[in-house]
Amino acid sequence: MSNESNNTPDGKILILATETCAYPGANSVGQAHSSYPANTYILRVRAPVLFPETFYLDCFKKGIGGIIIMACGEECPYDGAFHALSKRLDQVFKTMKAKGLDLRRLRLTAICTVCNRAFLKEVNDMNALIQELGRPTEGEMKAA
Amino acid sequence: MSSNKKESTSEPRVGVYICHCGGNISDHVDVEQVAENIRKIPGVVVSHTNTFMCSDPGQELIQEDIKSGKINRVVVASCAPSLHELTFRNAIKRADMNPYLYDHANIREQDSWVHHGDPATAKATTLVAAAVAKTKRLEPLDPIRVDARNHVIVIGGGMAGLRAALDLSSRGIAVSLIEKSPFLGGQAANLDKLVPTEASAGDLIKQLAQAAVEDPNIQISTCSQIVGFEGYVGNFKVTVQTHPPDADTRRQIIRGITSDKSQVGKMIPFVGYFPSAVPTSEQTRIIDTGVIVFATGFKTYTPRQGEFGFGDFPEVITLPMFIRHMAQAAANDKHLSFNGKKIRRVAMIHCVGSRQIPGIHEADENDYMNEYCSRTCCSATLRAAMEIRENFPKTQVLDFYRDIRTYGRGQEDYYDRASESNVLFFRYEPEDSPLVEKNSSGDFPLKISVKDTLTFGEEIEADVDLIILSVGMEPNPITGLVDMMKLPVGSDRFLQEVHPKLRPVELANTGILLAGTCQAPMDISETCNAAQAAAVKASALLGKGYVELDPFVAGVDLAACSGTGACVDVCPVDAVKLKPVKINGEEVERAEVNPAICTGCGVCVAECPHNAIDVKGWTLKQYEDMVDAIVAA
Ligand SMILES: Cc1cc2nc3c(=O)[nH]c(=O)nc-3n(C[C@H](O)[C@H](O)[C@H](O)COP(=O)(O)OP(=O)(O)OC[C@H]3O[C@@H](n4cnc5c(N)ncnc54)[C@H](O)[C@@H]3O)c2cc1C
Ligand code: SF4
Repeated sequence: MSNESNNTPDGKILILATETCAYPGANSVGQAHSSYPANTYILRVRAPVLFPETFYLDCFKKGIGGIIIMACGEECPYDGAFHALSKRLDQVFKTMKAKGLDLRRLRLTAICTVCNRAFLKEVNDMNALIQELGRPTEGEMKAA
Repeated sequence: MSSNKKESTSEPRVGVYICHCGGNISDHVDVEQVAENIRKIPGVVVSHTNTFMCSDPGQELIQEDIKSGKINRVVVASCAPSLHELTFRNAIKRADMNPYLYDHANIREQDSWVHHGDPATAKATTLVAAAVAKTKRLEPLDPIRVDARNHVIVIGGGMAGLRAALDLSSRGIAVSLIEKSPFLGGQAANLDKLVPTEASAGDLIKQLAQAAVEDPNIQISTCSQIVGFEGYVGNFKVTVQTHPPDADTRRQIIRGITSDKSQVGKMIPFVGYFPSAVPTSEQTRIIDTGVIVFATGFKTYTPRQGEFGFGDFPEVITLPMFIRHMAQAAANDKHLSFNGKKIRRVAMIHCVGSRQIPGIHEADENDYMNEYCSRTCCSATLRAAMEIRENFPKTQVLDFYRDIRTYGRGQEDYYDRASESNVLFFRYEPEDSPLVEKNSSGDFPLKISVKDTLTFGEEIEADVDLIILSVGMEPNPITGLVDMMKLPVGSDRFLQEVHPKLRPVELANTGILLAGTCQAPMDISETCNAAQAAAVKASALLGKGYVELDPFVAGVDLAACSGTGACVDVCPVDAVKLKPVKINGEEVERAEVNPAICTGCGVCVAECPHNAIDVKGWTLKQYEDMVDAIVAA
């Protein structure tokens, strides 16, 4: 319970978790009953390459504090998708930088079906960051 | 589907069903409170809770609301969707509603099991609200139905390929078995007695290969490879090229056999089963097939020049070389000898080319490392050690291992028996691997030294006559096929299944299945397990004469599409094409998706400048609405 932060609108973390790797990975954390902050919202995705650059920026504009893309990494079952995603994110990071959004708010990581420790680390790290940064500032939201 | 039309055109009326899961959820989440919160969302017409939503009464609750016309969308909030998504989809279908007008909120694994008290209840409300938001945007979908050919191509004629071919045939499915060499049996042909049953590898191969050759439903093509591929599950078109063995080294080894017709139908030890005379001319043909099973197997690791003295000293050999030597030696010789010399002491080194560690081991010329355990070598090494001790008690055996991994039924016995028969064990750390040197003095050709962790780091040095390297497995090089069929490969270079636990023999490319060691190191029992699983999966796919595919594939909004072709350029599986269409009398090009090829990865969605392409059931707009619901909660 101790590491459950308040579910305040200031600190929401969106997790895009791949259907074949990270989403079952998050379930595996659940099966182990390992607690983590409750301000995390996991969306099941087939491959995060589906999201255009604007999706991420819009999320920040709407007030999402941090986004973790939990992909399958090199184990991605869709040929070429992970590479395309990395390329897209390079672009998103560039835009975020240009607009003055803290780059640490967006994170790409590979989580497997049993990567419990890695999952918890990612979530806790992002939560610590969001507690420090708060939701995107007016300036950041406007820029996004 | 008239009801579908009604469902898609009428205003969404969402029914929400929240599960207690016995107490698994309701002990931590105030489910009644969640139901009440959700009831206030516009469009939600019922919000129920139930002790077990997956039970018959739980499912009936949904079905009654559908039948009475109260609802036309369903949200179930319960355990992980992988467990019961299908259960609820089927329940909805039985109530005559489109099963894809349903979404699932995971409030057990991703909420009540990881959070407690008010935050858990608040999060459950948010997750359900997000699912409601998505559900309102759902459209009725139909599974994609395509005719399927009752035929399977099996690539590779090792144990996996033979087992799969026979099982498929027994289900009435015609099989083409494509083997690149002139022989059947694969790597198992290089083995003798097998762990853990002591069965003869040659006998097992012969049993399967003969049955396959005699089966009129199985067409075997040796000296053959796949050179062309197109199509989709149920309707693949595969080009197979057969050619006489070329003049490479392999042919040198087999020339005597393949030109001798009397060898046809025989199991030739350490070569393979010879099913038919080799072709004398090149031939290319196209085979139409419904499913493809990969059984392309492995190759053994070849140690680098100088790795533990390999290539530098003729007395350093690999385990497969030794197995072959033993099979021939055991029959004739009184004492173990090698290259005409008496072997008084032999050293065996485990994990050669397996479990490599960056920073300690050297990557190969392509910068690859084999970080995995090859799983079969520990047992095979101990078996060989015991065979030496039992047949040649005067020959001492020293065994240098990192860990002993004799997993599986009957395999630990080999370790026990090897210990009992005085095999001497030494354990090494990877950073202090055994050192093999030429012996400058004495009458032993080699010297091996190691820091032995079993004696707390004592430096051990021993003179030996022979060193056997337990080489591991590497996937067979099939880059051509991987590129041609766009197959997913893991970082270990073995073919990568969709899900290691829930869909272990399927590739993401629907209709292409995995059997045996092309997927990971396995012994023959596991290889045959996987082959039988692939055969059953293939027969399940083809059994109805058509295949039904998930409708979660890309769909084009023709009103928005302007034919830029951005989607065509990025699609990794060539599922989108530009097709000429007439709009207002004018001929233009618009994107068209082949749903049977599309994997639904969505790479095209982000690339379309007009948002004219989306993955059905997982649209961008649905995600945006879910984010809005999360932010608003
Ligand atoms: C040293 C050693 C000892 C072992 N000892 C044991 C033991 O005691 N007990 C046990 O159960 N297991 C043992 N094994 C494991 C056993 O060898 C394997 O489980 C088994 O051979 C795997 O069979 P497979 O069909 O998956 O692959 P393979 O035997 O590799 O067969 C693959 C076949 O596919 C063909 N092929 C490859 N690429 C193509 C292509 N592109 N087109 C057409 N054909 C192609 C190959 O020519 C080959 O015939 C041992 C393995 C090793 C390395
Ligand atoms: S089976 Fe044994 S020898 Fe082979 S890689 Fe694994 S631990 Fe090493």
